[in-house]
Amino acid sequence: MSPLIRDEANQTYWRSLEQLAATPEYQELAAKEFPAGDEVNWTESSRRRFLQLVGASVALAGASSCYWQKETIAPFNDRPEGRVPGQARHFATSMELGGWGTGLVVTSYDGRPTKVEGNPEHPASAGATSIYAQAATLELYDPDRSRAVGRIADGAAQASSWKEFDRWAENRFTNLAGNGAELAVIAEATSSPSMARLRARFAKRFPKAAWATWEAVGRSAETAGCELAFGQSLRPLYHFENALAVLCLDDDPLLDHPNALRHARGFASRRKPEGEMSRIYAAESRFSSTGAAADHRLPLRSEQIEAFLLDLEAVLAAEHGLSLPDPASGGNLSGESVREFLKAAAEDLAGHRGGGLITVGAGQPARVHARAHRLNQLLGNAGRTVEYLPAESSDPIAELGAVTEGLNAGRYKTVVVIGGNPVYDAPADFGFAEAYAKAEERVHLSLYRNETSEASTWQLPRTHFLESWGDCLGWDGTITLRQPLIDPLWGGRGELELMARMVEAVELEGRGIVRKTHDVDDSAWRTLLHDGLKKDSRPAAVQVRAGKLDPPALASGQTKGHAGNGELELCFHADSTLYDGRFANSGWLQELPDPLTTMVWDNAVLIGVGTAEELGVENATLVDLEVNGRSMTVPAYVMPGQAPGSLALALGYGRTVAGHVGGLVSDDVAPVGFDIYPLRNSADPYRVSGVTVTPTGTPFELAMMQDHHQIDTIGQEGRDARLDQVVREADLAEYKQHPDFAQHMVHHPPQESLWPERTYEEGRKWGMNIDLNQCIGCNACTIACQSENNISVVGKDQVLVGREMQWIRIDRYFKGGTDNPEVVNQPMACQHCEMAPCEQVCPVAATTHSSEGLNDMIYNRCVGTRYCSNNCPFKVRRFNYFNLNEDLKGPDNEVRWMAKNPEVTVRFRGVMEKCSFCVQRIAAVKHDARVADREVGGDEVVTACQQVCPTEAIVFGDLNDPNSRVAQLQKSGRAYEMLSELNLKTRTRYMARVRNPHPRLAAAAAAAAPAAHAEEEVHHG
Amino acid sequence: MSLFQFPRWTDKLRPLLGVTLLVAPAYVTALFYFGASPETLAVGYAPEQPIPFSHALHAGELGMDCRYCHTTVEEASHAAIPSTSVCLNCHERIVPESPLLAPLQESKQTGKPVPWVRVHDLPDYVYFDHSAHVLSGVSCVECHGRVDRMDVVKQVESLSMAWCLDCHRDPEPARRPREFVTELDWTAPKDLSPDDLPARRLVKDENGLDPMEDCSTCHR
Repeated sequence: MSPLIRDEANQTYWRSLEQLAATPEYQELAAKEFPAGDEVNWTESSRRRFLQLVGASVALAGASSCYWQKETIAPFNDRPEGRVPGQARHFATSMELGGWGTGLVVTSYDGRPTKVEGNPEHPASAGATSIYAQAATLELYDPDRSRAVGRIADGAAQASSWKEFDRWAENRFTNLAGNGAELAVIAEATSSPSMARLRARFAKRFPKAAWATWEAVGRSAETAGCELAFGQSLRPLYHFENALAVLCLDDDPLLDHPNALRHARGFASRRKPEGEMSRIYAAESRFSSTGAAADHRLPLRSEQIEAFLLDLEAVLAAEHGLSLPDPASGGNLSGESVREFLKAAAEDLAGHRGGGLITVGAGQPARVHARAHRLNQLLGNAGRTVEYLPAESSDPIAELGAVTEGLNAGRYKTVVVIGGNPVYDAPADFGFAEAYAKAEERVHLSLYRNETSEASTWQLPRTHFLESWGDCLGWDGTITLRQPLIDPLWGGRGELELMARMVEAVELEGRGIVRKTHDVDDSAWRTLLHDGLKKDSRPAAVQVRAGKLDPPALASGQTKGHAGNGELELCFHADSTLYDGRFANSGWLQELPDPLTTMVWDNAVLIGVGTAEELGVENATLVDLEVNGRSMTVPAYVMPGQAPGSLALALGYGRTVAGHVGGLVSDDVAPVGFDIYPLRNSADPYRVSGVTVTPTGTPFELAMMQDHHQIDTIGQEGRDARLDQVVREADLAEYKQHPDFAQHMVHHPPQESLWPERTYEEGRKWGMNIDLNQCIGCNACTIACQSENNISVVGKDQVLVGREMQWIRIDRYFKGGTDNPEVVNQPMACQHCEMAPCEQVCPVAATTHSSEGLNDMIYNRCVGTRYCSNNCPFKVRRFNYFNLNEDLKGPDNEVRWMAKNPEVTVRFRGVMEKCSFCVQRIAAVKHDARVADREVGGDEVVTACQQVCPTEAIVFGDLNDPNSRVAQLQKSGRAYEMLSELNLKTRTRYMARVRNPHPRLAAAAAAAAPAAHAEEEVHHG
Repeated sequence: MSLFQFPRWTDKLRPLLGVTLLVAPAYVTALFYFGASPETLAVGYAPEQPIPFSHALHAGELGMDCRYCHTTVEEASHAAIPSTSVCLNCHERIVPESPLLAPLQESKQTGKPVPWVRVHDLPDYVYFDHSAHVLSGVSCVECHGRVDRMDVVKQVESLSMAWCLDCHRDPEPARRPREFVTELDWTAPKDLSPDDLPARRLVKDENGLDPMEDCSTCHR
């Protein structure tokens, strides 16, 4: 990377540092839509091999076209009433992650779940889902899943069966009964009432047994913070919909939280400039989605957050008359920008007593949480923007530590591991793998055979959550049911079923166990299953009262303004797509870009721009990290907005026993990314200080999506001139003055078409509206679209040459300087232009317009010229360079077909594809309307991206229905059409982003960039 | 030298070569055009079924309505093939011992379905909806022919895209009042007025717009 040109970065939008610096690599990528490298796969096969292939495929084509295959139809033996072949059915169920559940509604075709949606009735979902829930169908049909009981005895693996295990288990657990001092259980976190019931029985049967709940990442510090602040074990339930002033400290409540979907919905309801708008402050070390959505963001080392909070207390006490139970000492952070930010945040928090909210990230220690909890209560926010619910205190690291110690001492002869993967993700200083091996019998129930299974003596296949019965709680405590959508594919057992056998319960089947927990009559039980949750079952909020806190003893690093090499901090976080590593074998999640870095198929240490220059680290090169006396070589990624002196690394990569996607060393599948857990200690699991970085200069290829599919490839200058028209934004003050500012940012003469334009005044006219003010860039739409539309995964090599297949992408634009840029997220899919440029150049009319205004793509007619993509100004068309479904043909992979949506064609090599506005969903709604003999409602069709969106940023509907939401929104002053000067007449409109900066900070920012502001005035004039 | 010369008689082959070059492409084109056309390949396809079920007997002679067995045709894309239990509604009593019904009895005992062979097979990239057609008054006979006269069901129409479009462009002749949709021998009375036909909901009659020729009507 050549030296950065920082001055030019002031007001224009940019996507990457490479773009700012205009490196040759970037220029080549931007100029050529189909970059050189079409030969990537040719290097392996010679020309002769190519001719053989062509010859064979011609011969086969001739043979196969002679007659259809003989196909049989298998009707039901006795068709259940109401069951119509080929008709989708929907069932309520739930998914639990990290101990907290989200209600789901799953679509099933002929007994085969294919698509996951959120349960609109469920408080933790509100109809949306996380990316993890969307990827569930791929996981369910993953051929790498654990398929059979395995037994490793005397070092040799042998096939076994549940029957043999049951015989062994009965014998073993009967011997242990009444005591259990030699038994330890390590279980995933769960809030399941049924599990709690079985655990009580477990404690009775094995009174001396050890039980550890283990999760590599979690929010236990938050609960511990409540104990410090209020003397009670509680968890906070945020209500962003009531919050007008929000301060997030190293926290990402919009994305990285068990209740994130609900937070995002509440946040979005307060980000409409038409109503009363909230103001968001974020002080954080690593750029988060919340930071990107914030009005003001302050890059701050994670270790400085505590000092920041102390300073905030001091300002609130001194300037706003807040009385604290103990005298404010202040953290004494230096720096003009910090002081200004602090003052503005304090002013807003004090000005909105009862309408403010302070949140703290999971990686911060309990004492920082305690201070924030106390401030929330003192500012009158408790009970309004945050409620406190009773919670069980747990400390996974201490619990696992105790069991590890017992293992090392030889106390536990039998260990049962329920889910999880402690051999891979336990803190490095525990030496868990060695300790685990000391137990005589090690039982592991797991969805995949992972690192822990390899080290166990019994490998038990676990049922997927879509195959099993269960229950859990939402973050707000709502009792949530889980019912299976399909019989266990590989005959596994659920965690409840394994527990039931250990405690000799009467009910051994999942359904019976759950039914017994929720002891209700048949009709109430059916209601429970239908709704997927027990209504009004959340516990009442607890009244809290803040007391004194121990005066903090800040370490010198926490207040020091600058951290040089050797004093750097390194923060660990759950990966934005792989979580703690459990989703490593999901191709959809591996290829889902990180919301801020847009990196796929890798993790890298994030280094701020200034810090990288100081350390001499080049982007995408390997660096040596020295942490806690251990060292590791990882690639570095220079990330704008990363706090100076702070490094960040994602956990969850480098799996050696994940599967054929995420890494399986025994089968020569290299691990994806780097395993960071060996750097993580139990004492400081989220952050270590005193890190030294040594650049090696060795380049390492990282697959970043940020520079792909640049809108408008007419060259660097043309793009730069146009970019501020692509994403449009204003301050709230400007918006109040000119509510239709977005429509006056581009001026062009009246446009005329070369041919008579078609009108769509009658019938349906489908359109979409995307609100940039609501979008938090979570990428849920991308993966929902992937699941709905059978979109393939291409792998890192293909992503490197820009061939990813996702139909909807989020263009993440930076704006301003590289140290702390602002971010705008823009979801980008086919705009369904009425005057579509792609249609005009297709030589075979494989893309044409429908009478309802859809830009149809007909795969069976496409010959793959790629002219359409070349002529598309938005770069939303995707070409199948290979038959990406070829590997589904093998007998091992056949199960993967089951994840495909039967309503959408699976595409072959050589055809173009793109967003269809979910034409299959339009067809389904029309079908239902026709059968019921009624009209199609203007809001009735819901696209996959719209349905999954936690903030409801995407709205789809009939523009000819004046009452539809999309028609109303497109009439709004904020709505604008992209590249309107090209006379495309796009059906997708965007709503301009409106920021709500603090007036004083906005004035300071404006003074720093007078030139840009003056230009804006001209536009308005 | 003469060793490297073509013999004189090869001169006579030259016109033949010319004729071959002209005729061969035409021949190959014609071979593929007619030989591989749906009319040649698909029409008349009448595979052997596991049970020699006669539509001529059931639908023709006995006058059973199509919908007695194909129950979902009015509500779903698929016109469901009857389950074993539907067949057994009658055949529990009528000739239950017949050797022809052995696969049915076997299905009843094993719980496994009777493997009927698909006759009308559209390509996988075509999404056809039975209910849309039946509810618009398009009779079964328009695509499936006089099934009530067939002992062995065979394909009578080409089911090619051109054939679909012929009707989609001018559907009126194929439409009839909804109550006669399954009467395969129905002929339009002379005084039939367009008002007798079912309203084509969501399509032309209602809003003056006809999306039936859109690509995405069938392909998606």
